[in-house]
Amino acid sequence: MDELFPTELKARLEQIRDADIVVGIPSYNNARTIGHVVRAVSVGLAKYFPTQRSVIVNSDGGSKDKTQDVVMQAESGADDLLLVSHPVHTSYRISTPYHGIPGKGSAFRTIFAVAKELKAKACVVVDSDLRSITPGWIELLARPVLDHGYDYIAPYYLRHKYDGTITNGIIYPMTRTLYGKSVRQPIGGEFGFSGHLAARYLEKDVWDTDVARFGIDIWMTVTAIAEGFRVGQAYLGAKIHDAKDPGADLTSMFRQVVGSFFRLMESYEDIWRHVSAYEQVPLFGFPFEVGVEPLTVNTDRMIHAAQQGVADLREIYSLFLSPQTLIDLTSYVHRNGQGFHIPDKLWVHMIYEAATAFRYRTIDRDHLLQSLVPLYLGRTASFVIEVTDSNATQVEERIEQLGQVFEAEKPYLAQRWDAVRKEKLHAQPV
Amino acid sequence: MRSLFDRMLLDPFNRIADQSAHVVPILIMVLVTLIIGGFLAFVARWLTLRLLQLARFDHIVQRTGFSSMIERTGVFRSPSDLGARFVQGLVWLFTILFALNAAGTPASVGLVTRFVDYIPNIIAAGLVLLLGVVVSRVISRSALLAAVNAQWPGARLIAGGVRVLVMSLAIVIALEQLHIGGLPLLVAFAIVFAGIVFALAIAFGLGARDMARQWLEAKVRGSVAEEEVFRHL
Repeated sequence: MDELFPTELKARLEQIRDADIVVGIPSYNNARTIGHVVRAVSVGLAKYFPTQRSVIVNSDGGSKDKTQDVVMQAESGADDLLLVSHPVHTSYRISTPYHGIPGKGSAFRTIFAVAKELKAKACVVVDSDLRSITPGWIELLARPVLDHGYDYIAPYYLRHKYDGTITNGIIYPMTRTLYGKSVRQPIGGEFGFSGHLAARYLEKDVWDTDVARFGIDIWMTVTAIAEGFRVGQAYLGAKIHDAKDPGADLTSMFRQVVGSFFRLMESYEDIWRHVSAYEQVPLFGFPFEVGVEPLTVNTDRMIHAAQQGVADLREIYSLFLSPQTLIDLTSYVHRNGQGFHIPDKLWVHMIYEAATAFRYRTIDRDHLLQSLVPLYLGRTASFVIEVTDSNATQVEERIEQLGQVFEAEKPYLAQRWDAVRKEKLHAQPV
Repeated sequence: MRSLFDRMLLDPFNRIADQSAHVVPILIMVLVTLIIGGFLAFVARWLTLRLLQLARFDHIVQRTGFSSMIERTGVFRSPSDLGARFVQGLVWLFTILFALNAAGTPASVGLVTRFVDYIPNIIAAGLVLLLGVVVSRVISRSALLAAVNAQWPGARLIAGGVRVLVMSLAIVIALEQLHIGGLPLLVAFAIVFAGIVFALAIAFGLGARDMARQWLEAKVRGSVAEEEVFRHL
């Protein structure tokens, strides 16, 4: 673990020795927004955990816009106006570059290592581009771990109906179906977890995979659920952040998240094979209505992407989609405008067949994931068209419906999984 | 004195019969050798495949990363399949050489000797071509996916062009290994290749000047595409 700590950080940790709470903030060129996040965290720690020893760790990916300076110089904000009593312990602040593959996961790894080194009881991670974070988020994410024996707290946000489409269309319903826990935002970005779980994460040999990048969120959630850690959710209100991560383009982001999820299906096959129903996960915090930022989506462009994908990538799709799925896809994808529609069952079959092909390497994994992007855009366009006039409750009901289709079709996944395995094992020379 | 009939018909017939008596057994032997060799090649491939599968060869190769490269080609099902087909090819090669040698004629023996001397060149050329097939498939598929995901029109044309270019390069190198064409072929290829690259550069820089500027601006400034204003995650 020593290789994760630069000399300066090592000395600083020796000086601090131990802490009750570690709050990690991964960053890369976030000077514009990270000051607000650090202030909110500082106030949150002082206000809600005045008797606990706490450390704020900024794990930076080599920012060139003085992000680290902003972290170290950020004031604790209007704490005198917010605090009834002053904290017993001062919150320490560390800003350090991380080692390894550039990405959010590598930044988290350093935070896990710091938490372990300081023998932290609870750890919280928050994104550095948040504009809607409040001091209360720190309490909501850390309190269930410190006082209620939870190991993992996922965020629960209200989001615009077009926002989080990988979450709504793939990750949430599949996590629920495969692992039996209804975690609404499994790749939310802000999490609370126990020091015990942080140590468990560190034991895993995944840091040269996509987990070191955007795959970290789903990896943390699925690992916590699959390995039987106690999981909860915290209601945080609305999540508002910078329009776009500068390093994130859709193809690589999709590849990293969905690829990590498919890889986890391989690791935890014994778990998801035996899950037959899901259960609700306790929700901490007080749910309230909030306004969300309006979003515009160009569905024509997405439909065009899907149509081009089906036309140009047919040969690739035929390597992992069943003939029936390919026929259905071709017949649905050629409709234009408001008539464009990809049914739930077809979408679920495409994802299940892709997951199976990923497992058994029917096609190169990278190519498989890249070829899914046009299909995902098509499905997103279909969803957007369908919920154009729906309110938030109706959209949630619609996502719930999709989850039910994922569950109903789970036997198809198992059947497909077994069939391809059998095919691979008994490949005859031709 | 022999009759005209003997000289006109019987003698040539006898000569053909003599020659056939000499050649037909050889042909039969060659044919039998090829049939047995073909059968042995099939058996060798089947056995090799089973042995490699038993030894979990695919699993071992998978760790090296070479496995995905083989699968990307779409030619071989797995590293075991590649190994099995290679053994089958070798058995076929030796069968053909054995058959030619068994024929025993000066021409076939000379052909075998020349062929044996030529084998290293053939192996080198074969490997270059195999590598060309693998690399061209991988690169063209990657180009196709990148072009489709960037929503470029003519994505298949781009992928096809990439594949042709890479295969052309492999063929030129293979021919050079076989001492066919030699330097003129290499120079001709270099001229054509450089010409294509130059033409594309001019087409992009001049013909599509605005597009080139927008693309570079987007790369340098990291502009947000219209449809990416919302979060996918």
